[in-house]
Amino acid sequence: MILTFKEPVEPMEIRKLLFVTKFEDLCFDALRSLLNLREADLQHVVFMNVVERDKVAMYRGTGYRKSEEVRLKEKANIRFIDWAEDLFEEGLEVGVYLVVGRLVPQVIKAVEKEEADLLVVGRSPKGVFKQLYGGSDVTELIRRASVPVLVFKHLTENPKDLEQPFARPLLAMDWSPASLRAVEYLTRLGKVIKQVDVAYVAGDDELTGSTGMAIQKMRKERRRQLDEICDQLEAAGIRAESHVYVGDTNDEIEMAARECQSSMIVLGSSSKSAWVERWLGSTPLSIAEDSAFPTLIIPPDKG
Amino acid sequence: MAKKILIVDDDPDVRMFNVSVVEEHGYTPLVATNGEEGMQLVKDEKPDLLLLDVLMPRESGIRLYRNLRTSKKYKDLPVIILSGIAERSFLRSQKALAEFGGATVPPPNTYLEKPVEPEELAAAIEAILGE
Repeated sequence: MILTFKEPVEPMEIRKLLFVTKFEDLCFDALRSLLNLREADLQHVVFMNVVERDKVAMYRGTGYRKSEEVRLKEKANIRFIDWAEDLFEEGLEVGVYLVVGRLVPQVIKAVEKEEADLLVVGRSPKGVFKQLYGGSDVTELIRRASVPVLVFKHLTENPKDLEQPFARPLLAMDWSPASLRAVEYLTRLGKVIKQVDVAYVAGDDELTGSTGMAIQKMRKERRRQLDEICDQLEAAGIRAESHVYVGDTNDEIEMAARECQSSMIVLGSSSKSAWVERWLGSTPLSIAEDSAFPTLIIPPDKG
Repeated sequence: MAKKILIVDDDPDVRMFNVSVVEEHGYTPLVATNGEEGMQLVKDEKPDLLLLDVLMPRESGIRLYRNLRTSKKYKDLPVIILSGIAERSFLRSQKALAEFGGATVPPPNTYLEKPVEPEELAAAIEAILGE
């Protein structure tokens, strides 16, 4: 069954974002590139740094290294104070979390406590063990977060080029409830989005029929469905274009983003269980982990 | 009866430091860990002075400060801001918030940049509450 975007959806705004950083993965320039969300009602930024427990854990004969915990927290605090001053001067409210523990549970706890509307994380390199056994912290956060997750990646090496991830997103559609929610999400961001490219990737299994016309019929039908989404976006004042691709989903989404000169890829999160994802793979998680583009993953409606 | 001083700070070390200074000078400390808790204690306990941090989880000191200053009932409650954030940035933030359509609020009674010496904090308290 194909759901339409007229299904009731939970309203989504970006008033408060939680910016989780280990500093080597995300710095202030990444946050600065998101500040145009102010025009879409962003009012509050919460910084978070989690000191991994193994950095302050008990060593033989030394016990828990409290002084190391204090040193690491204050190091992060000094950086956050500097960032906060910049944001304060722009009239934003700022909060800070400096905690010791495991990253994923601490971040999920903070998202809930703060009632954040958007979680921003960087992409850390995966170790071999994590690649084999269940993915990185980013994967885990996407699986567990109840709010949209932006996995930030820089598209340019030049810090002087101000990136704007929300300026020209590529929306990868599969008509899942989460991707329909992504449409709704983007329609609310008209003040910061210049254009949305809406793409669908047909798998080889959809190329049925013995004639070219039969195959083109599939393209035409998908195109019509994408155009309906474009109409909804345009009704919200956002320029939108539809694109149909054929082939491997991950590769084609990446190609579409390049061809459209996208600033970000947006996908609804997978509804597969973690176990199924581990064996069969998940497009949103693969794109979030491996794509060169910043990736915004929208979860399905909690209701 | 001893005057009450409400300390709003998320850092337990800072809270402990402030409580000891407040007690040492004969005042009664009240403690909150964020702006929401702070506002509740303002309503429930009617403190005579607020020692307020700025960067906190949940509701920041800026929100609480602005809520107080725009409230008919609490606008005159003396506030000492105690923060790692520079005073200049705090004042600019108030200006920016006013430009974004918020109310124009007066500066705090005193602004102290962390870390403060006990004598410095005590002097600021005495300047406001001392007879």
